[in-house]
Amino acid sequence: EETGDDDVYEFGKGDFTEHACRYCGVSNPACVVRCNVPSCRKWFCNSRGNTSGSHIVNHLVRAKHKEVCLHKDSPLGETILECYNCGCRNVFLLGFISAKTESVVVLLCREPCLNVNALKDMNWDLSQWCPLIDDRCFLQWLVKIPSEQEQLRARQISAQQINKVEELWKSNPDATLEDLEKPGVDDEPQPVAVKYEDAYQYQNVFAPLIKLEADYDKMMKESQSKDNLTVRWDIGLNKKRIAYFVFPKEDNELRLVPGDELRLRYSGDAAHPAWQSVGHVIKLTAQEEVALELRVSQGVPVDVNHGFSVDFVWKSTSFDRMQGAMKTFAVDETSVSGYIYHHLLGHEVEVQMIRNTLPRRFGAPGLPELNASQVFAVKNVLQRPINLIQGPPGTGKTVTSAAIVYHMAKQGQGQVLVCAPSNVAVDQLAEKISATGLKVVRLCAKSREAVSSPVEHLTLHYQVRHLDTSEKSELHKLQQLKDEQGELSSSDEKKYKALKRATEREISQSADVICCTCVGAGDPRLANFRFRQVLIDESTQATEPECLIPLVLGAKQVVLVGDHCQLGPVIMCKKAARAGLAQSLFERLVLLGVKPIRLQVQYRMHPALSEFPSNSFYEGTLQNGVTVNERQLTGIDFPWPVPNRPMFFYVQMGQEEISASGTSYLNRTEAANVEKIVTTFLRSGVVPSQIGVITPYEGQRAYIVNYMSRNGALRQQLYKEIEVASVDSFQGREKDYIILSCVRSNEHQGIGFLNDPRRLNVALTRARYGIVILGNPKVLSKQLLWNSLLTHYKEHECLVEGPLNNLKQSMVQFQKPKKIYN
Amino acid sequence: DDEVRIRQKVTEVDPLEAANFEQELRAVVQESVEQRRQELRGRPALHMVMPITLFEGSNRDHHGRGFGGESGDEAMDEEAGGNKEVQVKVLVKRGNKQQTKQMYIPSDCSLIQSTKQKEAAEFEE
Ligand SMILES: [Zn+2]
Ligand SMILES: [Zn+2]
Ligand SMILES: [Zn+2]
Repeated sequence: EETGDDDVYEFGKGDFTEHACRYCGVSNPACVVRCNVPSCRKWFCNSRGNTSGSHIVNHLVRAKHKEVCLHKDSPLGETILECYNCGCRNVFLLGFISAKTESVVVLLCREPCLNVNALKDMNWDLSQWCPLIDDRCFLQWLVKIPSEQEQLRARQISAQQINKVEELWKSNPDATLEDLEKPGVDDEPQPVAVKYEDAYQYQNVFAPLIKLEADYDKMMKESQSKDNLTVRWDIGLNKKRIAYFVFPKEDNELRLVPGDELRLRYSGDAAHPAWQSVGHVIKLTAQEEVALELRVSQGVPVDVNHGFSVDFVWKSTSFDRMQGAMKTFAVDETSVSGYIYHHLLGHEVEVQMIRNTLPRRFGAPGLPELNASQVFAVKNVLQRPINLIQGPPGTGKTVTSAAIVYHMAKQGQGQVLVCAPSNVAVDQLAEKISATGLKVVRLCAKSREAVSSPVEHLTLHYQVRHLDTSEKSELHKLQQLKDEQGELSSSDEKKYKALKRATEREISQSADVICCTCVGAGDPRLANFRFRQVLIDESTQATEPECLIPLVLGAKQVVLVGDHCQLGPVIMCKKAARAGLAQSLFERLVLLGVKPIRLQVQYRMHPALSEFPSNSFYEGTLQNGVTVNERQLTGIDFPWPVPNRPMFFYVQMGQEEISASGTSYLNRTEAANVEKIVTTFLRSGVVPSQIGVITPYEGQRAYIVNYMSRNGALRQQLYKEIEVASVDSFQGREKDYIILSCVRSNEHQGIGFLNDPRRLNVALTRARYGIVILGNPKVLSKQLLWNSLLTHYKEHECLVEGPLNNLKQSMVQFQKPKKIYN
Repeated sequence: DDEVRIRQKVTEVDPLEAANFEQELRAVVQESVEQRRQELRGRPALHMVMPITLFEGSNRDHHGRGFGGESGDEAMDEEAGGNKEVQVKVLVKRGNKQQTKQMYIPSDCSLIQSTKQKEAAEFEE
């Protein structure tokens, strides 16, 4: 349904493309002419770009085309250039002459008209004939040269490219420059760069990568069909049918999320015809039970419970919006400011400051006081057009972001757009911003409107339903009718939709801040909105094209918040990842020399837990905003080897195994010891919601869940309430106690996932009160970073082995680290 | 207010490319001239009809867009940076109808220079 409206809205399809120079994209009517050869009719501009002749002259020479027509909005109007006397249209023969008196000029061809005797008798000075093409350009007063700005923002085309595309046009007149760059099916895609000549080159690099990822995603999701499912039926508050069933996940990275679309099927039996319906996932439980809200409530076989099948319905929406954003970035000059445009492409731009009166206080109402590094961040951001804020774990980046948004909104530059790649992060931010007293609208995808949200009162769909004014009573009546009956008559439905759309627009326009996911910023409901100020949280977890979606709505001031020392976006297609799609815009801007402002005080971890991450990932700059006392729970009696250091590395020698699916790993010994540690925590007075078990491998995650529920020493329910998750899915979250199971334990192969320092950083920084790491030091010590982690634990007498009630320091020998990870 | 200053990268045109292109351009011009001569061989000379009204100083036909009145423009141009422009009438044909369009040509354009020199010379005589 979400894509429904998208069909009528095409990105970047404005009138600016029609007469744009086919080489460089310049579209100023005063600067372009049309080739008048009937089979060609392409437009070209009069700028030289990087070549010796102007684009139009280049085209005419290389295509051997000789006639042109001026643009209707040019000073001469729509005019085919021709000799005034004989009508010759060959531009290579034409030139202007002027009358001896009076300021009159006329186009005349040099062969034969310049040599005709009749003309010599008239009052023309034939000796001063001035050719139309001079110095390999059209006369500049007739066809203007695009401004420097226009040229800088145009596609930078080389003479080689011109030759190639002209060659291509001979067989395919509609070919584009993009066609030149298209890699063959089996070719490795072109890798991402740090700098780009122009937005067209940028698009040429990213478009194929997004395509690869989209194809892979489609293939993966559409192969997820499951048969023989058991379904439990229910009815939602909105009278819609809900099907509950368990959708077991494979141990691949594919995760079902609320808002996903599934098709439920029943093949039929003697009493029931075959049936199928599409619905949206509105809820997922820890037990992997899916709640699917069906689109159509009629004819559902609710008296049947067994033998259902389910398929994934793949949607291209998010990928389409990324492609659309890149196109808009290239062809629409108003998509972002000139400064942002050149900066994003890595062109050397002179530093620009924003002249704004700064507020006296940098905090905001309803938010905690800011610390020094947070104040520094807010102050700097308000003065600069491009900003990176690095928020290491627990440093209060949401509060800082909310304060920035508060001050931006108070500057009166129009509405502020706030985005993040994930819905969870958007909700958190929306809540904090709303606490400052600003009017916030949280725009959700239509497919997620039934998904419960902690900030429901801020969502657009909720506000539309609850806008209680008399003018809206018609909408209210229709809404009630729809709720009661489930459906409306087609004329009522039409009326309802129109009223709803108008109300949505009204509410959105009156907000100070719009919050949505990056992909959500491409929602057709925002198509006519412009946002000068854009803040993107968790930006290091978004791909570049994803980040571009909110930016191309008119950005002049951009704030990217994130942490490039934690995990980046998940790219499933290896080819696309290898080519660099996993590198975020934040990271590229760092490579381009933009210095991130780092938030430096962490409020999450016990100081003993923050020490290693601070030294290894943040050059030792992370300060503790919490004391040892604040991170000590009274009455919890857990056998930490060193009383004031709630951490230990538990030496494991059990073997790793390949999981049943063949694509992941598990380690039975570690799983058994995880259960023992969990049980010890529970016995010591810790409650299940305080504990998180994390592991890099889905195979191990599934195995631990299973093992604990079968073999847990205490009540089964307690273990069910404990969250067991992958390291990656735990980014951005925290628990009081974390148990990390490393799994890998082989002498000869590598350690795979564990090799990424960013994953280790995330794993080590989730715990507030204490952490236990289970792993094989012999194997892990081969890697430099793990080696220093092990050394750190050993030096603090926290590297231990033996039974939990009698932990002893381990004397296990480390191996020499082999190579430096970079 | 969207002003942006790029540290100018000097676009260097490959001299070989420039030379090749110049050669190709000349070839096309030469070819065009010869082709035209072929076409016209044996045809009678063409006639040119000048719209007489034009020389009586009438300015009826203002088709140029974005160009304002005639008075005061030159002064403004001077202020704008010294690159003086002069107004000309460009004579064009629409079918068989003659029209003039107002345009501005930089005063240092050879087309204008020669006219001015001629005018000056005539004045001296
Ligand atoms: Zn052409
Ligand atoms: Zn061009
Ligand atoms: Zn002629």
